Amino acid sequence: MSSEALKKRKSKVLRSEGGTPEMKRGRAEGDQQVSPHVIVGENTRPDDMRVYSEEVELDGRDPEQDYVQYKESCESLATLMSEIQDLKANGAKEGCPEVEQRRMQSCIHFMNLKKLNRLAHMRLKRGRDQTHEAKQKVDVLHLQLQNLLYEVMHLQKEISKCLEFKSKHEEIDLVTEEEFYQEAPQEISRPHLTKNDPHQLTLARLDWELEQRKRLAEKYKESQATKEKIQKSIEVKKEHLRSLQPGLHAIMQASLPVQEYLSMPIEQTQKQTEVARHLPPPLYVLFVQANAYGQACDKNLTLSISGDVDEAKALSKPPEDSQDDESDSDAEEEQEKTKRRRPTTGGQLDDKRREMLKRHPLSLCLDLMCKDGSILHLSFYYLMNLNIMTVKTKVSTSTDLNTAISAGDLLKSDTLLSCLYTNDQGRETPNPANRYQFDKVGIVSFADYVDELGHPYMWVQSLGGLHFPSDTSEVSLSASHMESSMKLLRGRVQSRLALHKQFASLEHSIIPVSSECQHLFPAKIISRLARWTTITHQDYMDFSYTRHVTEAGLAKDTDLYFMGVVERGTARLQAAVVLSPRYPEISPLFSLCLSWKGERSGRTDDNLRAMESEVNVFKNELQGPRPGHQLLTNQIARLCVCLDVYLETEGQDDSVEGPREFPREKMCLRTVRGPNRLKPFKYNHPQGFFSHR
Amino acid sequence: NKNHGDHLLIWLLLCSLCHHGYGLLQLLHMSVFSQSFSPCGRFLAAGNNYGEIALFSLSAALSPDATRLSQKPVLTFTAHEGPIFSLVSSDCHLLSAGNGEISAWSWTELIKKTQLQVRDTHYRTVVCPTVTQHSHFVSVLRSSLEIPEINSMVLNNRDNSLVIGGGDNNVHILDLEHGIFKAVLQGHSDYVHCVSLRDREADILSGGEDGAVRIWDSRTGQTVHCIEVHKYETCARPQFGKWISCLTTESDWMLCGGGPSLSLWHLRSLSPTSTFPLSGCQRQAAFYQDMILAVGEGPNVSHCLLGGGVKAQIPCSSQSLNTLQLNMNSTEHRVLTVGGSSDHIDVFTNLSYRAFSLSF
Repeated sequence: MSSEALKKRKSKVLRSEGGTPEMKRGRAEGDQQVSPHVIVGENTRPDDMRVYSEEVELDGRDPEQDYVQYKESCESLATLMSEIQDLKANGAKEGCPEVEQRRMQSCIHFMNLKKLNRLAHMRLKRGRDQTHEAKQKVDVLHLQLQNLLYEVMHLQKEISKCLEFKSKHEEIDLVTEEEFYQEAPQEISRPHLTKNDPHQLTLARLDWELEQRKRLAEKYKESQATKEKIQKSIEVKKEHLRSLQPGLHAIMQASLPVQEYLSMPIEQTQKQTEVARHLPPPLYVLFVQANAYGQACDKNLTLSISGDVDEAKALSKPPEDSQDDESDSDAEEEQEKTKRRRPTTGGQLDDKRREMLKRHPLSLCLDLMCKDGSILHLSFYYLMNLNIMTVKTKVSTSTDLNTAISAGDLLKSDTLLSCLYTNDQGRETPNPANRYQFDKVGIVSFADYVDELGHPYMWVQSLGGLHFPSDTSEVSLSASHMESSMKLLRGRVQSRLALHKQFASLEHSIIPVSSECQHLFPAKIISRLARWTTITHQDYMDFSYTRHVTEAGLAKDTDLYFMGVVERGTARLQAAVVLSPRYPEISPLFSLCLSWKGERSGRTDDNLRAMESEVNVFKNELQGPRPGHQLLTNQIARLCVCLDVYLETEGQDDSVEGPREFPREKMCLRTVRGPNRLKPFKYNHPQGFFSHR
Repeated sequence: NKNHGDHLLIWLLLCSLCHHGYGLLQLLHMSVFSQSFSPCGRFLAAGNNYGEIALFSLSAALSPDATRLSQKPVLTFTAHEGPIFSLVSSDCHLLSAGNGEISAWSWTELIKKTQLQVRDTHYRTVVCPTVTQHSHFVSVLRSSLEIPEINSMVLNNRDNSLVIGGGDNNVHILDLEHGIFKAVLQGHSDYVHCVSLRDREADILSGGEDGAVRIWDSRTGQTVHCIEVHKYETCARPQFGKWISCLTTESDWMLCGGGPSLSLWHLRSLSPTSTFPLSGCQRQAAFYQDMILAVGEGPNVSHCLLGGGVKAQIPCSSQSLNTLQLNMNSTEHRVLTVGGSSDHIDVFTNLSYRAFSLSF
């Protein structure tokens, strides 16, 4: 049976079964003795107003009983069915009364079952409704509980917030309680109130603090006033002292003629020594030593101090302050380091660099006068933060020297004192500690600042008594360097001036040969110097015919480079010259290249090589009188002679007709000699012939 | 003997200079002109343009644990005043030729000195070897203004004599037994560049600046043949000149070159069989197995085939080369050494490439 059909029937029953309790009872009795016409009667009497309500019946019934009833009905139904079957099996006919009767009973039982079923359904529905109601009630209660819990939490939070509250007064440093009770007056401390109430106690202590502070502020004001008063009185006294100055000055001025008359430069030396007191230690050492040396051995040495004395005084007065400055700057440098990653600190870094490279406001000027009247001005500076000394140089001459272009570099301060001692180029700082300082502020090399600050030569440090541990230096006193350095300086200036003069004439194609050196050369030299120019180190390195010199490491960055061209007829001899800054101690080095009937160089042609060694190796005879300033010009002159010999003794190609380009004029014993057929380049003086080495 | 003493004095002076080592300048302008291997084959003597002889230890330089120091001379001493153009080793002596003089140095003494030195290389105190025999070439001087040089020497083992060619245009024969000059072979019109001996016959060959190769009979002292190489068209190179600066013989074959191209001659027919197309002037050549090795202008050792072709040109460290020497005295130190216009002597353990360089 479909559920829909079941419903229909149910509703039908409901409609018809709306009966009164009496009726119901009647029915209940009727249920027992099941009768089909009762039901028919019900259906046929719709106008009966007494309503039968099954729900009411339901309340009165016991489910247990219903269950027993159901069991009984089922059992009796089963017995009836089996009886019918027995009857049928025994051959009872359709419609026989026993069977019919039993069928009737079965129908009644079915009806009963149906009723029970309906009741069970209704009971179930009611149970369900009850459960639903109860559940809704529980939900409402649960919601209430949640609300209450939230409220509790909020209140707890508020409480803890209140507990954590900090008052401003806690930061104020108060006097201790005992002190407070001892010192504070009764009306503030109010011991009766405060002894037991910590809140009142704190308030009272705060009051006391306020009181005391007010009192101290008053005191401060008073002190300020007295200070001002004292300052004013000092000012007045100073004014008075200042008014004395012109008078004293006038007296001094008046005494000057007397001093001069007595030839006692007391004042000047006094002044100088007074100023010298403010020199930094290394410059002071140099000052004292140079002064002593000048007085004892060298009258042509003059010393002076220049710079801002007041600034120096300010620097030297509070030594602690400078200490502080240093530590400050250290701290700042630390900051710098951390900040350096940010690109905004570029300007600051510049300032740091400037600060690091700062020199002492005072400098020492030392003027060395040479015999010919030219003066070498040396200015010594002290770099305070780097703890090194530098020197700047200048040469002033008695005569005008602007003629030689190629000599431009000779007296430049950049090269003038380069390599005064071996390898002392003065480009890098001699203080190893500076390396770390430079790293901090990003200075790559001191050489970049040499133009501005001067050269930190080793000998300058030695003169100032500064010693830095390095691989070779032994510790020695400033005094032991003074004499040798001064002699070297003087020698250097003189050799440079001599070269300067020589270059001037070399540029006009004149090779100056002094009378002492005449015997080194034959009377007639036909080859002549056509050009004399300066070239750069790079130019020099680029020549193919100087490669052996470069490879041997004889062409250094500090050297000066020149190009000389010697010509005779169609032959043209190029000579690339390396001039060491220590000339004439280290002789110039020539490399040759001859363009004549093709190109040959000293590297490939044995005779040109012999010419090279004639000027480079056998140079001792060319040095001339001490100190040998004429070496370079003598070398060039010999080069001309050698070129003459080279060209005149060149073998004549028999197959070519016509006169020789270079007729033989030099007297030679033999034109070629030895396995490599060298020409005679050696000139023998009194006899005037050429021979082989 | 007074002369002897004077020389000793000069040596002592010069040795004190050597003591400090060379200046870089001197090294830059140094040329190596002559070489000779010791009889044992373990040492190489080399002479330069400053009159110095340096002894190199080949066994040290060739050993597997050789350092830079073992490529430096174990002994250096000044032997003559002028350049040393020729060095020759006899069984027990090293003969060196200076300007107009020949000195003989005992190999055993030299080697003893080197061993003394090796022991303390820091000091390099140069103990001067003493000359065991000293012959003055000056006695045969032609001019007193310039002492003639000795360009070439060859040892004649057959009669223990030394054949000398030099600047006085003559070939001299020195009897080593008595230290006197036996004969003078006159005929060249300019100085003699090179001399050579023929193995079997008693012939002496000499080549000179005058462009002639003269073949002499050593017994009579007369010129047997005179070949003027520059007159043969195949060899002549007028743009260079006519001089003969290298000369070598082997049985019936002669190798000569210089101004003219290097060429191979058959001596019995006196005709050139092949010329070698080498660009510069050759200074020394040698037969080696079925090849000819030649050096001269240009930084190469040329390997030539007997037929006339150039097989290879092996680069060297010097820009022009003066001397080449094969060490045949010792099998384990069989090397080719080449010297020229630098302080380096290139050593070839294999002929096809430069192994390393010894240097002054």
